[in-house]
Amino acid sequence: MPEPRGELDTWLNGRVEPLLPPPGTFERVSRRARRLRARRALVAAAGALAVAAIAAVAVPQLVIPAPGTGRPASATGGLPSAAAGPQHPATAVAGSTPAPATAGPPVPAVTPAPPALSVTFVGAATGWVMGQSLPAGQCDQPAAPACIVLRRTDSGGATWRTVRAPPAHGPNGPTGVSQVRFLTRSDGWAFGPQLWATHNAGRTWTQIATGGLRVTALEARGRRVFAVWARCAGTGAGFASHCTSFTVYSSPAGSDAWAPVLSPVAAAGPAGGAASLLLTGTTAYLLTPAGSLFAGPLTGASLQPIQQATGAAGKLPAPPCPSGSPQPDGQPSGALLAGGPPPGLDLLCTGQSAGGRQRKIIYASSDGGQTWQRTGQAPAAGTASFLSASPSGALVLATSLGIEVSTDGGATWLAAGGTMPPGGFAYAGMTTDAQGVAVPAAPTQHSVWLTYDGGRTWQPSSAGG
Amino acid sequence: MEKFRTTDRAAAEELFNACYPRLAGWVRRLVDDDDTAHEIAAEAFTRLLARWSSLDNPQSYLYMIATNLVRDHWRRAGRERRALRAVSAATHGDPVFHPSQDVDVRALIQSLPDRLRQPFLLHYYAGFGVREVAAMLGRPEGTVKADLHQARSRLRAALGDSDA
Repeated sequence: MPEPRGELDTWLNGRVEPLLPPPGTFERVSRRARRLRARRALVAAAGALAVAAIAAVAVPQLVIPAPGTGRPASATGGLPSAAAGPQHPATAVAGSTPAPATAGPPVPAVTPAPPALSVTFVGAATGWVMGQSLPAGQCDQPAAPACIVLRRTDSGGATWRTVRAPPAHGPNGPTGVSQVRFLTRSDGWAFGPQLWATHNAGRTWTQIATGGLRVTALEARGRRVFAVWARCAGTGAGFASHCTSFTVYSSPAGSDAWAPVLSPVAAAGPAGGAASLLLTGTTAYLLTPAGSLFAGPLTGASLQPIQQATGAAGKLPAPPCPSGSPQPDGQPSGALLAGGPPPGLDLLCTGQSAGGRQRKIIYASSDGGQTWQRTGQAPAAGTASFLSASPSGALVLATSLGIEVSTDGGATWLAAGGTMPPGGFAYAGMTTDAQGVAVPAAPTQHSVWLTYDGGRTWQPSSAGG
Repeated sequence: MEKFRTTDRAAAEELFNACYPRLAGWVRRLVDDDDTAHEIAAEAFTRLLARWSSLDNPQSYLYMIATNLVRDHWRRAGRERRALRAVSAATHGDPVFHPSQDVDVRALIQSLPDRLRQPFLLHYYAGFGVREVAAMLGRPEGTVKADLHQARSRLRAALGDSDA
């Protein structure tokens, strides 16, 4: 039997035979090094600009989301727009194979409005912020260099570092990206309107072919990711406008095996509408532009129309309002859907916005959307942009003026205190019953707002990288 | 973009000529394949030259990169080997191995945790002193010594077990 020590030492002391380089190796290595330096210089330049753009986003002690849900608390926003008029009922369109967007009647150009920051967290410490490294109006040009910037924190927002982003520009009609979501530290997606995925913490990004359809919403929970793929003709930053059909695709989170889980649903009318995607408990919901609600399990099985129960006294047999036209980030402006404690759902139906005021009626469903009941009315001041529910069911409403909070299902509301940004908020969401994050609507506000007292007061995070 | 100055190029070429053969030979003993050894050595030099001007100790950096690239290669090869083994087992019964002394020891080194494997390779195999390895890894010298001792103990025990 050989002596162990001798075998190890023999191996360690074995002579290293030099291996001469093949001819031209140094020249090849030098060329590759030059290219690598050039890439690094480009990234460094983009990073420096990104610091100016988004380094102010610091989220100290942010806890998002509630442990165990697997759902990242994601925030994204855009300038809130006026409520939509009524929509026609939706009709199912046969077939599920995505087709390129067809050229329809000329669509009016949308005034460029750079998207607000997009934020996603997968736990107490780790989160990402997506921004742009070029000034407003430049990053969304098709000829612009890859100018999407992603910064990551692993310290709850105390420090941020630039990580690799998908090589894309800002949203412009059918191209570009505007939002980010991560489900885990590894699996993430950039979307709106194009779709990119990473499964190695952003080291590499792969563009997902969507057959010309635009991804207007995306959420991930459990082990799967769901996204709304829409056929739209909106131009410029209004990538999610003038959509004529919507469908839902899903994929296991760890792969790019996207498959339809809902046949395309038409949005009648030339202005189209917006569809809302919500994942709660074990269920995925889609609220169509016409107000139809579909639901399916998070396993990837097909979404089916909610079987409407016969309206009991005081209860409505269907969601009482259409989802309306899209906000710049693709979210509906007319019907804001939020998930309370399962199977509870909350819905804010908005009216036309005039003179800075808007009718805002709250409905709730305790049976997964089969029946709805009016539960209250939010203050008329301001235009609503996003509704969310805390784990225990408190409602948080982001508006163009600030944030309203209700702890009794919408019957009464309390205006949140603190320093509010001009233009209000595009997003406000509660991670826990106490903690939450909000994103200002104005792209010029490069900060996020935080609450640690259940939404009663909000303050901007301190600046810093 | 920062230009690669002529003097830098001359210095880099000098380092390349002096270090490449030994580095590639070092890698070849770890990967047992000339092409892979050249690939890893060239990639290590590429990364070195890409940040040439900011390095105090290019040779240390070179071996650190190579060590990491070898580790990555082992991981990939391990996945491929496991996949191949699964296929072979399903179609041809047990796979046939051709053991050699080098491969046995190398397999054991691969099984060391990163914490122990890095200083082990850099010290015993690449020939860096304890102080240099400590500086390269950013660890106290005492820690490196303890890691080296632990790595050797583990390997000896494993070799003893395998011979029993």
